[in-house]
Amino acid sequence: MPLAGSLDIRPLIEGASEVVLGDRQLRVDDVDILQVLYEVRVADREALVPPALNPTIPPVISFLVYRAKESAFGPFALAQLRLTARSGVRPRAYLISARCDNAALADGLASSWGFRVAPGEISLRRFHDRVDCSVREDGGTILQVSLVDPVPVTGHDVQYPPGMHLARVTRDGTSKPRIVQVDSEYEFRRADRGRPELTHFDPAAWGDARLVPDLAVSASFAACDMTIADVRYICNPDIPASEGTEKVSDR
Amino acid sequence: MEFGLFMELSVPRPWTADSERQVYENALEQVRLADELGFDYVWAVEHHFLEEYSHCSGPDIFLSACAAQTSRIRVGHGVIACVPQYQSPIRVAERAAVLDIISGGRLELGTGRSATWPELSGFNANPDETKKTWDEFVRVIPKMWMEERFAWNGRMFSMPERAILPKPIQKPHPPMWVAVTSPGTEVDAADRGLGCLGLSPGSFSESEKKVQNYRKRIQVCDPVGAFVNDKVLTVNFLSCCEDGDLGRRNGLKVASMFSYMASQLLSAKEVLPTHSYPSEGLLPALRRESGSPGDAAKSFKGVTMGTPDDVADAIAAWENVGFDGINFIHQFMEVVPQRYVLDSMRLFAEEVMPRFKQGAARPIAPGVARPVAAGVA
Repeated sequence: MPLAGSLDIRPLIEGASEVVLGDRQLRVDDVDILQVLYEVRVADREALVPPALNPTIPPVISFLVYRAKESAFGPFALAQLRLTARSGVRPRAYLISARCDNAALADGLASSWGFRVAPGEISLRRFHDRVDCSVREDGGTILQVSLVDPVPVTGHDVQYPPGMHLARVTRDGTSKPRIVQVDSEYEFRRADRGRPELTHFDPAAWGDARLVPDLAVSASFAACDMTIADVRYICNPDIPASEGTEKVSDR
Repeated sequence: MEFGLFMELSVPRPWTADSERQVYENALEQVRLADELGFDYVWAVEHHFLEEYSHCSGPDIFLSACAAQTSRIRVGHGVIACVPQYQSPIRVAERAAVLDIISGGRLELGTGRSATWPELSGFNANPDETKKTWDEFVRVIPKMWMEERFAWNGRMFSMPERAILPKPIQKPHPPMWVAVTSPGTEVDAADRGLGCLGLSPGSFSESEKKVQNYRKRIQVCDPVGAFVNDKVLTVNFLSCCEDGDLGRRNGLKVASMFSYMASQLLSAKEVLPTHSYPSEGLLPALRRESGSPGDAAKSFKGVTMGTPDDVADAIAAWENVGFDGINFIHQFMEVVPQRYVLDSMRLFAEEVMPRFKQGAARPIAPGVARPVAAGVA
């Protein structure tokens, strides 16, 4: 039978963001995006994602890093650790946690889209032969990852599945644990791919010590305009998405 | 119209020492019945490492058992992976010839290149190369079958002159096909004179466009083999029952389970920034049919489920689109009882199949001869 998530979400709910649904979106022009994927080897794949979601075969983590020189919140960098998953039959990425170097943006991402985000120092540097990213927290490095030997591809070749963010959603005065589906649109200006190189990764610092990278999958670097769209769907984390998905916006 | 069974050999958890044997036994029983009932083909996939979804990593061995237990149904690779890290084209030609001999000339060779990350990475294959290697495989295999001794100096592989043995019974060689899931592969099929083995259920309009394009291009093809196979087969889910509601319910169980299991596999397209895999194989069509992020596949127009009349209506619609036949996914993950599967096949053969087995064969391209042994009606 299809593998179904069995992650105990109770310990995660306490630190989850409070989301108040509303009609809002965030457009950011000229964003650099690094995405690096690694397979992880774990004994119990089901225990990586909430019961609403299905794990993939095999499970793959993605380091998804945005950097923008301008936005409504000012310049920012955002680094996410995500895990491939499925909502029913659809490809999704379950957010483990994120780091952001812009406090105002981090607040907005948390309250509007349920990002589990903490402050961090993020460096994303592009060279002709490689793209380097490092993330530091409390003075220590928690991620150092690179794309090596970039070669051009098209934006169509790069995929960023919608995020699934475990949060607390307030509606009609009550707050309930929900998974918020975060859809983003990308208009690509250019894209490269290359060889992934992971120098340092502290999975415990990111929220799940079981996510130990095992096999390099791919790396891409893109420049695009990006819009994080209004929330359209939320789902009950405790039951399969096929039963517990609710449409909250017609957009 | 021609009809076939499409075997994934999926094995649901929990696995016991007997699980895989039982699935294989059930499949062989279905094939024996299909042979008696007049089905035209049984196709077996080649998949590796795809837990539960498919435990069919040795399709030629499974098809050999099918051949040994039947007398007329054609046995098809649907499809063999033409990826050198999986196997050499020499081994494909040799083993296919053996299967053709022991089946008495009933082999169909479907070709493909894999579309999932677990398989490609499991064999350390380069996804950027699979289209190219497939192309070289399909060019050399018919030569290996037809030439007494064969030598090759190619891009993917080279070999000194050797006799590749045995030779298939069917002359000049067994029919060849290619799996069509990615957009544009129907063009590849047409240009090489290969049959189109549709593995992805799609809409009528999408399919009609593809079939028309294929028919047009194959008229001026440069065949890789000694003849053109211009057949186009599609795939569908079969559940035929006098009680239409039960037929649809059981059919949807199979279709939903298939969608769920297929969707859990990571496609090459999803994780690799490569234009070599422009689509996610089977999955986009299935995903398009689901209504919301959480839905499994729903019943959709043209699905071969329900009463015999329902099934016949759906087949007629696909026939009008231009397909020559349909291969059925009639069971998946053992979600419906074996007895139901067999009864559904019997009812289909009694009530539906005869409505599509009359009339002359569609004319074929001028100057092109189909082989006598190809099982053309």
